[in-house]
Parts: sequence; C-alpha cells; structure tokens
Amino acid sequence: MAHQAHAYHMVDPSPWPLTGAVAALLMTSGLATWFHQHSTTLMTLGTILLLLTMYQWWRDIVREGTFQGHHTPPVQKGLRYGMILFITSEVFFFLGFFWAFYHASLAPTPELGGCWPPTGITTLDPFEVPLLNTAVLLASGVTVTWAHHSIMEGQRKEAIQSLTLTILLGFYFTFLQGMEYYEAPFTIADGVYGATFFVATGFHGLHVIIGSSFLAVCLLRQINHHFTSQHHFGFEAAAWYWHFVDVVWLFLYVSIYWWGS
Amino acid sequence: MYYKFSGFTQKLTGSAPTAAYSPQGLRPGVPAEAPAMIFASPTKLVSEAGTMAEYIGPNRVPDLQRLFQTSDGVPIHLKRGVPDRLLYRTTMALTIGGTLYCLVALYFAAQPQNK
Repeated sequence: MAHQAHAYHMVDPSPWPLTGAVAALLMTSGLATWFHQHSTTLMTLGTILLLLTMYQWWRDIVREGTFQGHHTPPVQKGLRYGMILFITSEVFFFLGFFWAFYHASLAPTPELGGCWPPTGITTLDPFEVPLLNTAVLLASGVTVTWAHHSIMEGQRKEAIQSLTLTILLGFYFTFLQGMEYYEAPFTIADGVYGATFFVATGFHGLHVIIGSSFLAVCLLRQINHHFTSQHHFGFEAAAWYWHFVDVVWLFLYVSIYWWGS
Repeated sequence: MYYKFSGFTQKLTGSAPTAAYSPQGLRPGVPAEAPAMIFASPTKLVSEAGTMAEYIGPNRVPDLQRLFQTSDGVPIHLKRGVPDRLLYRTTMALTIGGTLYCLVALYFAAQPQNK
C-alpha cells in the first residue's frame, strides 16, 4: 500500500456498478418477456448476474475494510450515515403501506359493508401465532444485544452462540409466518383487506429474511475472526437493521393484527 | 458529573448524584473500596483472547491482511488470484452476453405479431 496523508478511502475502479446495472436491465426486460412471451430465460440470467454482483461487491468491501484497513474512523462515520439514511428510506417505504391500511380501515366504504374488518373476512386471532411471533422477535432483539456486548468484550464463543441464537429465532419467525400464510382464511385477492394485509406483512417477511441473511453473514465473519472489540461496524449495521425490522413488526401487530381485527 | 461502577460493563459510567452516593447492590462486609478505574478498554483482538481464539477455527486474518496489502497494482476484485479471475470472467461474460441477448429479445418483442 502506498502511503497517504489523509484518512479517507480512495476506492479502486470497480466493475460491480456496471454488472449490477446490467443485472437490473436483464431483470426488468426479463419480467416483460416473462409476462408477454412466457420465457423466463432473461429473468434467470438477470437474477444470476445480480447474485454474482452482490457476492463479489460485498466480498470486496470486506477485503477493503477488514484486510486493507480502509475503514478508518472518518470512513466508518460515512458508513454510519449511509446506513441511517438507508433505514430512514425503509421507514418511509413501510409508512406507505400503513397509510394504505389506515386509509381503508378508518373510514370503511359502503362496498366493504361500512365496517372493518370488511364483511365476509374472517381475521387471524392476534393472540395465537402472531403474539408468539411478537415474543420471538422481541427475544431476538435481546440476543442480538447480547451478541453485541460479547463482541465488545472480546467474548468470541459467547458472540458466536448468541448470534446463532438470533438467526435461529429469525428463521423460526419466518417459519411461523409461512404457516400463518398457508392457513390464512383469506387471500391477497380478498379486496383491500387481503391486499393491505399481505403486502404489508409480506414486505415485512422479506425484510426479516434479508435481516437474517445479513446476520448470517456477520456470523460467518465472526467465526472467521473479522470483528474486533473496537471495530465491528458490519455487525452494528446488521443489528440496527434487525431492530428496525422488529419495530416494524410491533406496528404491524398492533395495527393490522390487533386493532384491525 | 457523578460516576458509578457498572457491574455489567465493568467500567465507570455516568450516574445521578443519588445513585453515586448510595450505590445499590453492595454486599455487607465487603470494604467499600473503589475498583481500579478503567476509562476505556484497549482494543482486544480475538487473536489475543488466548484459548478462546481457537474456538471454531484459527485466526487467518493477519495472513489475509498481508496478502491484500501487498502493493502489486492488482485491483481489489482480482487480488486473490485464480478463483477471483474465474468469478470475474463468468460475471463479465454474463454481463456482455446477457446485454446482447436482451437487446435481441427486446427487438423481437417490439415487432408486430402476426396472428
């Protein structure tokens, strides 16, 4: 490494923005050819290219941060701002779905029977599996904090165990949600109730899967000794994201499952 | 500013005056001696954690740091040699081939269909 007189990271030219953009082109064109010509070739190509790009781009960031030491305190500050802005944008993404839900439910139209839940809809009991899901996500919030303190105190074994427990709780939540979807007495085609319910909880479920994957990558990195007691921003970002997903669930539970039933 | 000893982090933390003057959880008979002050714990690498470090695999980070910090002009995405080049070429082939295939598919999709 050549010596530099400042603490900022001058990134190498990278092919990944280009391959990622082409992956997006293939996927959008792929959707069109899928819908119009019933061919999934372009969609499959685009998905494979996107997965390859994601793997190599994030692999390079780990190399730059952990192996080359480019993630100095000012660079980490930038990463923090980036993650905060990203999560803020996610908050507004979910706000839209809550807006749709409250728009439909606070003043139900005559077509719905003038009531909420709409006439003919049998809702899920909020005090059965959804309450268990709430407990599972809250427990995973505790175990991720346990993992953070273990990393900060250099307790390698405890960090690995608590992080594994967090990921298992995430998988358990996804499994329970899958069972709920399978047994739900309404579908996404059941008017505004089904639409708002499955779009909001479905996108939340997608975020749980993304958060579990993010934490699983952190577990692999912890097993490979990437995190020190002072420098582990990858883990902190995953923990922030996990807490965000947890809070969204609490709003979903209170609004859609409980008040909405 | 008042301080108290946190039993959780084993460090001094800020506290309210009342908590500092009447600490909770003191056992009777133990002399009320302040523990050694630790203002900030030094960076503790997992490799320095003794036997703990060997739990599920040894620490290969220093070797990888040496590998990735050699200045040979190779960009970061190819620095690990053959596996990197293989993945990169597969990705680039898919990028170029996929773009051409996409343009052809979109051209045919734009033609009017004879029924």
